[in-house]
Amino acid sequence: MPERERSVLVNKAVRKFAIVCCAAAAVGLFVVSQARAEPPDLSGVWVPDVKDQKRQETANAPPWKKDILPQVEHLVAEEKAGRPFLVLSHCLPHGMPSWMLITHNAFELLTTPGRVTMLGEVDGNRMRRVYMDGRPHPEDPDLTLHGHSIGHWDGETLVIDTTAIVPQAYIAISEAVGIPNNGDMHVVERIHLAKPDVLYDDLEITAPKVLDATWKTTRIFRRYPARHYEITEGECEQEDLLPGKDQFGNDIFVANPQGQYGSVHTNK
Amino acid sequence: MSPKVVLLAAGTVLGFGGIAAAHHSNAAYDADHPQTMEGTVKQVNWTNPHITFVIEKDAKGGESASTWVFEVSSPGVLTRSGWTKRSLQPGDHAVFRYLPLRDGNPGGFLQKVTLPSGQDLTYSLTPDEQ
Repeated sequence: MPERERSVLVNKAVRKFAIVCCAAAAVGLFVVSQARAEPPDLSGVWVPDVKDQKRQETANAPPWKKDILPQVEHLVAEEKAGRPFLVLSHCLPHGMPSWMLITHNAFELLTTPGRVTMLGEVDGNRMRRVYMDGRPHPEDPDLTLHGHSIGHWDGETLVIDTTAIVPQAYIAISEAVGIPNNGDMHVVERIHLAKPDVLYDDLEITAPKVLDATWKTTRIFRRYPARHYEITEGECEQEDLLPGKDQFGNDIFVANPQGQYGSVHTNK
Repeated sequence: MSPKVVLLAAGTVLGFGGIAAAHHSNAAYDADHPQTMEGTVKQVNWTNPHITFVIEKDAKGGESASTWVFEVSSPGVLTRSGWTKRSLQPGDHAVFRYLPLRDGNPGGFLQKVTLPSGQDLTYSLTPDEQ
């Protein structure tokens, strides 16, 4: 075969090989992009951005009903006067949506098949279960502080729908300013990663007894994988107890004597 | 606590202490007039929503000893700032920097503890920015 002819053949072979390679690369890209469409990994320990919470107190107030507003103004004035009403003065969980709105503590998000679980950094019952298995809300649910949550993925966003929250659960904008929702509250959250370790919780809170319109607000949480944070046990009830002994010498908790204005309940 | 953690905690408090003081629902405390006292820890209540330390203030300058209660942030926040449940124990003598109760009762919001070794125990609600 003349040299020129052989060269043309080789060129054709190279071109074919290049086309095959391009096709393979395209398939590869497709596979990668498919993989990217998988829901992001939201698991980990998330610490609230408390500075942003503070900004939100004044930047985006809830649309309180006209007859509720004086109560809110009173709470704000009381705090300014040095007599804060303490939303968290009892040992109950924040409840929803205040947990997401005003907590100063971290939560741990766990993902397992069919379910997302959020563990609070306090008592064992400070927990949100989000069912991802397609079930609906129950028709006649028992009301709880955290309500009943069902979720699904909308692309890379986790959408959580929460109902069945007790009427006593606060809509709180700070630890000193909050109003009970008084019933029929509905919370929709769209949770997504703004950056790899920055989570935005876009909340839509509908509470017809106290709000004129659905309140849209966002809270920011950050995770710090390099620091290996864990959520910390801190049982609220334990503040009424001290380590002690029983008559057998067993280590038990005994009642904590209260001081002049409460040795522990300093502000209750 | 490692020296690194102390430095980190001190740094974060310098950066965000104002926010922490302003926001922690501690309007009952006078943020404009921080005070310092020496005393001995009597009791540690390592609980939520806030930790409290009961302190016996040293008798000094003709003033007799008195019992004070210092409130501070939560177990989670202090743990992330490098504390353990054992950082401050009954019997420990230390210098306490606090925001006093506005109503004059013997109590305050704890900002910093300086141990006899010179080690400072501080805390921050927000870890360093990433």
